[in-house]
Amino acid sequence: MSHHYLEVRDLRYAYPDGTEALKGVSFRLEHGEAVGLVGANGAGKSTMMLALTGLIFASGGTIDVGGTLLSKKTVGEVRRRIGFVFQDSEDQLFMPTVFDDVAFGPLNQGLSEPEVRERVTDALTRVGAERLADRPTYRLSGGEKRAVAIATVLAMLPDVLIMDEPGSGLDPYGRRLLIGLLRDFRHTRLIATHDLDMVLDVCPRTIVLHEGRIAADGDTRTVFSDAALLERCRLEQPSGMRK
Amino acid sequence: MHMADALLSPAVGGAMWAVTAGLTAYSAKKLKEIPDDSRVPLMGVLGAFVFAAQMINFSIPATGSSGHLGGGMILAILLGPHAAFLTLASVLVVQALFFADGGLLALGCNIFNMAFFPCFIAYPFIYRKIAGRYATAKTISVAATVSAVIGLQLGAFSVVLETMASGISALPFNAFVLLMQPIHLAIGLVEGVVTAAVVLFVWQARPEVLAMAEENAPMRGFSMKKVLAGLAAAALVTGGALSWFASTYPDGLEWSMAKTSGSEELPAPEGGIHAALAGIQEKTAFLPDYGFRASEPEKSAGTEAETPKPETPAAWPNPDAGTSVSGLVGGAMTLVLAAAIGMFLRRTSAARR
Amino acid sequence: MEALAGASGDALGSSPVHRLDPRAKCVVTVLFVVAVTSFGRYDVSRLMPFVLYPVAIATLSGVSAGSVAARTLAAAPFILLVGLFNPFFDRQVIVRIGGLAVTGGWMSFLSIAVRSFLAVSAAVLLVLTTRFDLLCAGLRKMCLPRVFVTQLEFLHRYIGLLAGEAQRMVRAHDLRSNGNRPKLALVVYAPMIGLLLLRALDRATRVHRAMKARLFDGEIRVLRPLAFSRSDFLFILAWGGYFLVCRFADVPGLLSGLAGVR
Repeated sequence: MSHHYLEVRDLRYAYPDGTEALKGVSFRLEHGEAVGLVGANGAGKSTMMLALTGLIFASGGTIDVGGTLLSKKTVGEVRRRIGFVFQDSEDQLFMPTVFDDVAFGPLNQGLSEPEVRERVTDALTRVGAERLADRPTYRLSGGEKRAVAIATVLAMLPDVLIMDEPGSGLDPYGRRLLIGLLRDFRHTRLIATHDLDMVLDVCPRTIVLHEGRIAADGDTRTVFSDAALLERCRLEQPSGMRK
Repeated sequence: MHMADALLSPAVGGAMWAVTAGLTAYSAKKLKEIPDDSRVPLMGVLGAFVFAAQMINFSIPATGSSGHLGGGMILAILLGPHAAFLTLASVLVVQALFFADGGLLALGCNIFNMAFFPCFIAYPFIYRKIAGRYATAKTISVAATVSAVIGLQLGAFSVVLETMASGISALPFNAFVLLMQPIHLAIGLVEGVVTAAVVLFVWQARPEVLAMAEENAPMRGFSMKKVLAGLAAAALVTGGALSWFASTYPDGLEWSMAKTSGSEELPAPEGGIHAALAGIQEKTAFLPDYGFRASEPEKSAGTEAETPKPETPAAWPNPDAGTSVSGLVGGAMTLVLAAAIGMFLRRTSAARR
Repeated sequence: MEALAGASGDALGSSPVHRLDPRAKCVVTVLFVVAVTSFGRYDVSRLMPFVLYPVAIATLSGVSAGSVAARTLAAAPFILLVGLFNPFFDRQVIVRIGGLAVTGGWMSFLSIAVRSFLAVSAAVLLVLTTRFDLLCAGLRKMCLPRVFVTQLEFLHRYIGLLAGEAQRMVRAHDLRSNGNRPKLALVVYAPMIGLLLLRALDRATRVHRAMKARLFDGEIRVLRPLAFSRSDFLFILAWGGYFLVCRFADVPGLLSGLAGVR
């Protein structure tokens, strides 16, 4: 029995001013699944990702991460299991050097020094950034920043990876490298993005979010073939399918 | 109004370092009492904001000159006095290290002048008193302007005092005050208007930000008494350091006294302050007095040693070896020697590579 | 902002000076500044032996003398402003070189200029030869309040980012003002700064979330072991000794005496 699943039931969230961002979202990710989360701006993607890691608390519904129900009490455990890669790497890389940043999570987990060093080396090697360890974080290129940001999360050995717009700010080459990396991961993955081509390359399954509700959930090619659905959700068919 | 190392004596600089270190420790302790982990990134990013804002200039109406934000009051308003003090101090540290604004010795003075007054005087006793309870556009504007002006006036006056106590600059006290205070009145007015405008903008765009800041900056235990006690302690430290300094190295104080009293020489040092200072000196000087005299005539070989050497600090100013011709030549020789050693080091380190 | 970028580039070097413990460099820098500033107000030649320190450190570390000088001169305006008054208020002639009478004011002005150059160059060299994270690790070990050192690190991390945002805002404004660049009027300036501030606040919120997502609990933990070795000890001892000698013995005087100058 795997603990690497993520199950969301009837998730609701309303902003303090009353606007509803999530109006009852339910889905389940199985172990090792890579799922694309697409939707126009304001569809609720970012809000949902914040809710999944307890950074904002939903006004209704449940989030179950491998058998642990998210609550104020279990939020630490949930955050250890779900690695969150933020949209802007500048926000995620807040420590002075790459090493410090990747070591941040493991140190907060209370690991010993040798364990932390091992985690850092492994995580950086995994994303091909081991030579960057001593560099100041603000002197990295966009692609390097993204790789290190992913390493900071990998170092915590999460079961589930959720990523907000991982391809933003990358040049085509950097994007290609990222896609290769994401395909190789064995984690349960939820990738929110506007880059439908990336979804096509990485995720066999896609969830379409529209105005706080799930508009479609299924095989990526099937979803992207439904022109009417994409049109209604203000999306565009990926160029990889327009042949 | 960054104070510079070159205008400071180690005693004044050191005393202000001690005062600032105390304030930093006090602020850090206060922050620990009210843990709030969102403050860590907030202070860091707002410190960077002050830097960035200082890069943008605006035109001061009717003068043709331009100015920029100082940021002290804005930080105090958004973060409360303790966090704002630490944030401003960190900004001044980075400015001293990377932008050569001020210097290391002057850092204590600069933090005191530019962070202490806005955070611990102007904010709690002026801004909060005016705008604390009934925040309206008007009270915020008035409060921001008045507190910015007063904060800067106090800071500028503090610069004058520190410079005078150091005795490196020859500017007379009166002239210096007349130079500094009006300039900083103008700067303070501009700073106040800008602060008010920015705070109003934030207040209108996101009122909750200011409301939250007020909650996070509790004024409990912030009494005038405590501040006065702190200031008195600071004055004692400074005074103690100064008197030690004066006892071993009287030039500075003597000079500023001479300048402000308008006479070139003080009355003969019989009894009075000099006797008292000499007494302190005997008890406290851990360095022999002759060592701290800038130089002694007989030490510079080659000068006429037969000139009667002054026993006590001689009539000021006291031309010493450093200013004699031989001293100048020696200085030039040393400089050449230093350069030569530098060249040699460069060669050898290049050879090793 | 080039100052920051440049500094972090230089600080990444691996010369013997770079490899010294940051605490040793801090101590020597402080000793140097105190020694230099403790001279009398007319001393110029006595300051000369101290030039050796920045020269030697710059050479040994491979930091370009130009970048040190450029940074050091940035400090000049305020010093010139205040120092230039000395010649006006202190007109007593204290030395004659040939027919030239030099007043105390000029002498002390020169002294101010020299000590300023020396003191600032020491601080500049400290950051040019020390990685900022290691410097902060040193400060932490030297018992500075942790919250303050953390603040220094976060500030240093985000300066470049916010400066970039500020620059883009000004550029956008310039592009819309038809090439002729008027200085910003207050009505434009205040909302611009306000907007910059709101963005900074948003940034702080996002960074805080990123920290919490990785189990931040209010305590910043770092692994930066510093080892104070024998060479660090020798570094302090050697330079400290040199400063002490130059402070209390008249080295230039002795030199000119040796050369027979009267």
